[in-house]
Amino acid sequence: MRKEVITADPGMYSLSETNPRVAAERKAYKFGWSWWKTLLPPIIAFVIFVGGWELFCRLADIKPYLLPKPSDIVLAATENAANLWVSVWTTIIESVIGFLLSVVLGVGFAIILASSKLVERSIYPYAIIMQTIPIVAIAPIIVIWFGAGVNAIVIIAFLIGFFPMLSNTLIGLNSTDHNMKNLFYLYNASPFQTMFRLRLPSALPYIVAGLKISCTLAVIGAIVGEYIAGIGGGQGGLGYAITVAASRLRTPYLFACGFSASLLGITFFLLVNAFSKWMLSSWHESEMKSSEG
Amino acid sequence: MQQHMELTAVRKERVRMGQLSKVYPDGTVAVKDVNLSINEGEFLSFVGPSGCGKSTIFKMITGLSGPTDGTLEVMGTTPKQARKQSDTAFVFQDHTLLPWSSVIDNVSLPLAIRGLSRKERQLEAERVLELVGLKDYMKSMPRQLSGGMKMRASIARALISKPKLLLMDEPFGALDEITRQTLQLELLDLWSQDQEMTVLFVTHNVFEAVFLSTRIAVMTPRPGKIAAVIDVPVPFPRSESFRTTPEFGQIVRSVSDALKH
Ligand SMILES: Nc1ncnc2c1ncn2[C@@H]1O[C@H](COP(=O)(O)OP(=O)(O)OP(=O)(O)O)[C@@H](O)[C@H]1O
Ligand SMILES: [Mg+2]
Repeated sequence: MRKEVITADPGMYSLSETNPRVAAERKAYKFGWSWWKTLLPPIIAFVIFVGGWELFCRLADIKPYLLPKPSDIVLAATENAANLWVSVWTTIIESVIGFLLSVVLGVGFAIILASSKLVERSIYPYAIIMQTIPIVAIAPIIVIWFGAGVNAIVIIAFLIGFFPMLSNTLIGLNSTDHNMKNLFYLYNASPFQTMFRLRLPSALPYIVAGLKISCTLAVIGAIVGEYIAGIGGGQGGLGYAITVAASRLRTPYLFACGFSASLLGITFFLLVNAFSKWMLSSWHESEMKSSEG
Repeated sequence: MQQHMELTAVRKERVRMGQLSKVYPDGTVAVKDVNLSINEGEFLSFVGPSGCGKSTIFKMITGLSGPTDGTLEVMGTTPKQARKQSDTAFVFQDHTLLPWSSVIDNVSLPLAIRGLSRKERQLEAERVLELVGLKDYMKSMPRQLSGGMKMRASIARALISKPKLLLMDEPFGALDEITRQTLQLELLDLWSQDQEMTVLFVTHNVFEAVFLSTRIAVMTPRPGKIAAVIDVPVPFPRSESFRTTPEFGQIVRSVSDALKH
């Protein structure tokens, strides 16, 4: 009797709707089309833009130190490939460490703040004020405290990503469903259990949104840090390489460094984005929400 | 009614409300002077229009909010103390399943909070999932279940701690009529398997209340009061055919009349 009832349950429709084969076929069909539809126009625009740039520079005979041709930039990049790679690698290390620090400390502090209303009320206003101080303004102090070099750069990259992480996580931790909170309270859950079994997993979509903001900011932070606190030698990051190239009017190499920096930022963002998708994949609803927003 | 009280007097008293009142800080009189005594093994429904204080009474019984006047005893002690003893379980209108946990993890949550080992939890979870007919969906995620199946999982989670007092606040309110009727039968089945379990059930639906209950507390709003307590002296097990008997219609009518006061 009960078995019969379950097969007649309306829910069975929703199960068959997610039939993997049908869904996969539909996806493949859509994918083939939309892939070309989304990729082709920007590729064409890119080719036209680069071609036009090259042509313009050649016809107008513009000096390479004012505006280098795309071919000059590629040449500068390949000639200095070893140096460029060291700079890129340095910046990668600095921004990844800064980013990881901002995630760990941002989420950690948010948990501490959210554990006590009193602590949150007394500290959060200052966190907001701190957030509004431009990083460039406090960077020199950081250099004074920690000395020029990797330490200061990592701290600058960390600080710039820290506050978005903190405030996003805090909002997430405080927006737990009321009924769910009652449920945990009624089953005598400790504040610790409620935090790690309910509030933190509920906040995951917010944390992920914070990750996406902080990861691009960390790259910017690292490069800004290198402008201000970069050290020379073979160890300088992209920001340092840019300042050096600018002072020596090596404009093609400056462009190569700039493009590398933006490529780095994009790659970083795409990686974090993929990681976020994977983290939320077990959690259907929020994935829908974040892909809409 | 006097007779019923005598008959059930030998059974243990589970909940006793004496002149129970609740005024919210904003001045809303949600519950006023409610007197009611609920005994072991009863299935008592609260019926009444929206805003008559049904959920407020539940909040007081669970200790989520305190009464502003009168007395309230649960399991012979204070509501907070009773909750600490974990003899009470809850089912809400929405299923409140954790979307990131599988059905079995959701169902065994109350035991996990109490710190039971994985093995013990697994055993108990399989027992209650069998009871509600969800054993095949143990490893599924909540989003893969239909509304009715989610509610079954939610009921299984409440039953896992073998509660002596089960509080259900409009558990079937969001379900379609067919699923609702099936779950009503299943609930009665579960309740009759445990002679000691007392069920308090909130609903807007007079038919549902009459079909399920041994007694019905009819409530009226502004201020929230119990207008009448009506017995449903029909033996269990009750089957679908009970819904079409003249007796059923008669009780439905008297409940509806009481609601109009
Ligand atoms: N936290 C609160 N603060 C102030 N007033 C409240 C609060 N909760 C409920 N009320 C009021 O108390 C009255 C009873 O509310 P309650 O939720 O107990 O009604 P209910 O019978 O459960 O209604 P429904 O059937 O719609 O769930 C209502 O008038 C409501 O507006
Ligand atoms: Mg209610």
